[in-house]
Amino acid sequence: MARYGMVMDMRTCVGCQACMAACSTENQTPFWSEKFRTHVEDKETGTFPDVRRVQLPRLCMHCENTPCLSACPTGATHMNKDGIVLVNYDRCIGCYACCIACPYDARYAYDSEDVARERELYGKLVTHDVPHVDKCTFCVQRLSEKLEPACVATCPTHTRIFGDLDDRKSEVHKLAASGKAQALNQGLGTSPKVFYIPS
Amino acid sequence: MTFVHQEVWHWQIATYLFLGGLGGATFAISAVLHLFEGCDRKMLSVAVMSSIAFLVIGTVFLLADMLQPLKAIYALTNPRSWIFWGVVFINFYFVAAIAYVIPLLEEWPMLQPIIQKIPAPILGLLERFNKLVALGGSAAGFLVAIYTGLLISAAPAINFWNTPALPLLFVISGFSTGAAWLLLLSMLSSNPGAQAISAKLEQLDAMLIVTELIILGAYFNFAMFLPTGARASAEFLFHSPVFIVGFFVAGLLVPLAIETWGIFFGGHSEKDKPKLTMLLASALVLVGGYLLRIYVLKAGMFQYPW
Ligand code: SF4
Ligand code: SF4
Repeated sequence: MARYGMVMDMRTCVGCQACMAACSTENQTPFWSEKFRTHVEDKETGTFPDVRRVQLPRLCMHCENTPCLSACPTGATHMNKDGIVLVNYDRCIGCYACCIACPYDARYAYDSEDVARERELYGKLVTHDVPHVDKCTFCVQRLSEKLEPACVATCPTHTRIFGDLDDRKSEVHKLAASGKAQALNQGLGTSPKVFYIPS
Repeated sequence: MTFVHQEVWHWQIATYLFLGGLGGATFAISAVLHLFEGCDRKMLSVAVMSSIAFLVIGTVFLLADMLQPLKAIYALTNPRSWIFWGVVFINFYFVAAIAYVIPLLEEWPMLQPIIQKIPAPILGLLERFNKLVALGGSAAGFLVAIYTGLLISAAPAINFWNTPALPLLFVISGFSTGAAWLLLLSMLSSNPGAQAISAKLEQLDAMLIVTELIILGAYFNFAMFLPTGARASAEFLFHSPVFIVGFFVAGLLVPLAIETWGIFFGGHSEKDKPKLTMLLASALVLVGGYLLRIYVLKAGMFQYPW
């Protein structure tokens, strides 16, 4: 039993979006409808002439106190033993209560058109065979093979650091516990498991 | 900090919220009228049948908006979710409304053959406990009406929705639309018994509109207080002419003025013809109630931390 989490080092992200591409390929997410499980926000801060561009990669925060899970009437949204928030596709009715409840824009509809398009592209290898609401899974299928999530493995700048927050020796534990990396929107009390080192 | 308009729930859900509030409140007010005022059974039967129709149509809109409506029964899994309770309340409502309305339908000669197919002991029971069912029905109607607000207030990052003022606003507005609908029915009815309650309904609706105005004041005061998504939503509404003119002026102030005039200067004797202005007031309250829900949904903005 682990408590998986991620740290984003915003000092190193260059906004190449390789993570988005890797996630999309790994998880067959509907890039054709421009829907992704992870995004990279490209922001400008400051006022001229003191202006900077900041990249903020984001995904489901796998909150400990999960508003999406509370809002889900069907139990489709659940947390596995490793603290990963997942959606059971067969159980999801697509009521969108979770999308309204999620404070981090982490969910989108994998609708019937997306399912049809996926079938065209992937044939027998489809993994989203029914319409449902979709989100990041920390690549559970890769974790079970002792591989890191696709976005983490792909990131060329080591912006994404993944590990077990309960493992005192892990980099994520050290960064989160030291306060060097902070969660977003902490005031909401969602206790996210994704943390950010400010740039 | 970024404010982003929610693109999840649109007019279909607004329709569901409107019809849920209207249907729930129509039944609740009808049941209370039955219990405390005594009211024409024919009109009550029309009111309750129409409220059932509102909820059926509303539910169809909700289901049509889902990705997998055929699996909707799974919604009875997680009691921490408001949708779970919505399903419970709506089913409780349907059972109560149907049990309540069956004895009333005996007033309609053309429905007699159908009613007579129901076994006499069951019909006897329904008749005997009609008032008790009315009591349960008023609770069910209230719960359905307030649920429509609770459902959308469960949105921690949509500050404009995530406040107890919203369920309160929706329940009062729902009851105002219910009273307006009943007022419309009572004025269109040729039955003196039905017309007799017009005055009561007019007063009730005027009181509800005043309450709604007070809640709106408190709600917008809260929303404007800090530069959060709630303020952005409120400003969006202030700049929406349809919301200001359609809902606030035509849907609240004008009907309130007409009803207040009616309370002080209008007569409701049996000889009075349905007054066009009063019919207009009721229709405006109904349109206003629908616009309120459409615009509250449109105004919902996520406040993201990036
Ligand atoms: S980020 Fe959103 S989807 Fe992910 S666990 Fe938190 S509330 Fe749920
Ligand atoms: S859309 Fe699916 S996962 Fe989301 S709340 Fe509804 S049933 Fe649950």
